[in-house]
Amino acid sequence: MKSIKKLCRLVLVLSLLLCLTACASSAGDSSDPASGSSVDSPASSQNAGNQGQVDNAEPKTMNMAVSFFYPSLDVHKDYYGWYTSIYGISETLFRVGDDMSIQPLLAKSHSVSADGKTWTFELADAKFSNGTALTADMVIKNYKRLAEVNERFAYLADFTYAAEGEKTLKITTPEIYPTMLSDLTSPELGIMDLDGTKDFDNAPVCTGPFVVRTFDVDGTVVVDKNAQYWNGNVNLDTVTFYYMQDDDTKLNAMQAGDIDGYTSVTAAAKEIFAADPSTYVLTVIPATRLQFYVLNKNTLDDKVRAAINLTVDGSEIAAYLGGTVSAAVGPFSASAPYGQVKKPAVDTAKAKTLLEEDGYVMGSDGYYAKNGKTLTVNVCYYAARSLDTIAVIMQDEFKNVGIKANLTVQEDPDATYVATGDYDLALYCMIADKAGDPYYCVSALFRQDSKWALGGFANAQIEALINELQYETDVNKRAKLANQIVQASIDDNAFGYVGLFNKTTVTSNGLTGIAENCPFDFYGVTAATDKR
Amino acid sequence: MGKYVVRRLLHVAWIMLAVSFLTFLLSYLSPGDAAMKKLNAQGVAVSEEVLEKTRENLGLNRSFIVQYADWAWHALRFDLGTSFKDGFPVSEKLLKGLKNTALLTVTAILLAFLISLPLAVICAIKKDSWLDHLIRLVSFIGNSLPNFLISVLLIYFLCVKAKLLPVVANNSVRGLILPCVALAIPICSRFIRQFRAEFLEQLGKPYVAGARARGVKSRYVLWNVLHNSSIAILTIVGLSVGTLLGGSVVIETIFRWPGLGKLAMDAITNRDYPVIQGFVLFTSVIYVLVNLITDVSYHLIDPRLQERKGE
Repeated sequence: MKSIKKLCRLVLVLSLLLCLTACASSAGDSSDPASGSSVDSPASSQNAGNQGQVDNAEPKTMNMAVSFFYPSLDVHKDYYGWYTSIYGISETLFRVGDDMSIQPLLAKSHSVSADGKTWTFELADAKFSNGTALTADMVIKNYKRLAEVNERFAYLADFTYAAEGEKTLKITTPEIYPTMLSDLTSPELGIMDLDGTKDFDNAPVCTGPFVVRTFDVDGTVVVDKNAQYWNGNVNLDTVTFYYMQDDDTKLNAMQAGDIDGYTSVTAAAKEIFAADPSTYVLTVIPATRLQFYVLNKNTLDDKVRAAINLTVDGSEIAAYLGGTVSAAVGPFSASAPYGQVKKPAVDTAKAKTLLEEDGYVMGSDGYYAKNGKTLTVNVCYYAARSLDTIAVIMQDEFKNVGIKANLTVQEDPDATYVATGDYDLALYCMIADKAGDPYYCVSALFRQDSKWALGGFANAQIEALINELQYETDVNKRAKLANQIVQASIDDNAFGYVGLFNKTTVTSNGLTGIAENCPFDFYGVTAATDKR
Repeated sequence: MGKYVVRRLLHVAWIMLAVSFLTFLLSYLSPGDAAMKKLNAQGVAVSEEVLEKTRENLGLNRSFIVQYADWAWHALRFDLGTSFKDGFPVSEKLLKGLKNTALLTVTAILLAFLISLPLAVICAIKKDSWLDHLIRLVSFIGNSLPNFLISVLLIYFLCVKAKLLPVVANNSVRGLILPCVALAIPICSRFIRQFRAEFLEQLGKPYVAGARARGVKSRYVLWNVLHNSSIAILTIVGLSVGTLLGGSVVIETIFRWPGLGKLAMDAITNRDYPVIQGFVLFTSVIYVLVNLITDVSYHLIDPRLQERKGE
């Protein structure tokens, strides 16, 4: 009996302790929707003071869900700059427009020397959120810091920088560098007030239309209007970004009215939102993430590869994926000047003819065989970005023409089939267009030292064309060269381009300007973002 | 008792060594590495040169033994290192995750215990009655439903339809309600069935029949049954606490609850070895300690064990 009483007492004491703990948590919560371990930004406090004097009207607020989250707001580290850009905190010298054109932002103009190695930029009269004016020296310090803290941008240390006065910046490269403007749009090249920032992880001082109010490392970021924004009026007062990984949670939060919008809407959620156009606005645009496959020239002969490419139906796959992707012709959007390539239409009869010309004979099991060996293709994929679904659809399409597909799933493609070349058909997904220029993708896919060279497409002729593209400064010629290289990969049946992910955004009716028409993932709220 | 506790604590050191070595080995042997995951996080292709430099910076080019010895040497000095992914101290990340997971776990277990104990008693006393059948049926359904389904149903009905709670609730009391209920439902269902079985076993024992034959009041008989079932109940609850403190990935993901489960899952996905190792160490210690506390509680609750030890 005593033991039972002891047990009861223990349970009661634990309950009491728990209530106390929970109440302690809630105390911090009550004042702020994004509490917990959030950090208040000094920049925001200063900003709030300014705002308080301006107006007493009800603040315009907006809540967004984001699918990824990083534990720091340091613009230069890792990919964190993507998020400070989405949150409207940081800005770059140039930005990519919705039409993929490169537009000035913190730099108002630029010129390049006759030898193509020295770039001169005139900076805009921009100010940081603490009132400090942007100078060329500050930009140089930022780029040097980025080269130190981010391996992907270590190459910036190879450039020579010079400031001429307050607003003129000169960058000299060791060799011609035509992608300079494109590089300068990368959100990691966002500019911070390095001297004015006390806490890079939690409260960077930047030039964007919003400043950090609280940054909760568990996934909630609250930003306030930058009262001293240099580039026009900021419509919204406060924006809260909630990290939500789960698709159902995002859907439910939208339906409950807890959030005003999010991107990467799933096919199922899209149907639900589309059924209620008076409440929700859906925007679907082709984006830059490419689903493609590589056909191994070392294991599949020309006619088999051609037959495969005549069989894979990108439109059928896009339809099956509920409109989350658009069928692709090449790696780039067909609206881009460097996306002007053609591929043969799906023709299963022709595919069969090609196989028969190649000596294959249809067997009683419905599969082609040659010398008693069934035509079997080893399709390698990883279960992400809908590649698993694509692999299954392809298997079915291959079966219809008499090609047997064995599916091999790997968790990490880069460490397995991509690294070893042990595949007949390798499915993969990557960002093809980083910032309005084809060189990055063309180089990553087709160069002789690329990880896809094991597929057998790379050769000296293609390498020469890529080298030409690397140093070509004329935009039209660059597009022409890129088209030529990509077309060669299609004509050689070395690659198959399946789909380009659509950027699908849902917003509550009345909300505009959250980069829903921009194909890139790293833009979000701006000064123009508004909610009626 | 003191010697017993010390002996058990010494076992923890061996368990930690074995577990950490095996985890490190498995992480090392699995394809892919932290450098690749870190650089490819957004699907942007990077050159082999950048990849190699990152590997070198993270110390991934060293041999397995050197990497493990380096980690173990630092771990011995209570330094679990920093995350490959974000450079933050592993111990800070784990403590934060543990705090949140412990809050969720203890609340859910308490809730489940307080609901399931009386229901299990009713089921045992009213065995094979309509009430027993109904409670067992409901517990069967609760036990069968996967966590994600329970979570989505709760959100849909309580947040979207009834608008009683927000979907977006941060680390607060309101934010705790739904994940706690979602976690408690299957635990509660399991507890009811396990507690009921234990009570029925006790009710079928001769001491109960003897007590009843002597005309002892039912409530006294019930107290004795509860008393004699307490060790089994403690074992069931203890094991559940140990398991749940490892975190519940599904619940934590759906409800945006930043606990250990999600931290571990993200670390595994990103091949973040220091965090994986730290997590394994942490959970091993927790599991062993919870089991130790449960075992010690046996001695406190059941004097027979003390007596046997004395003999």
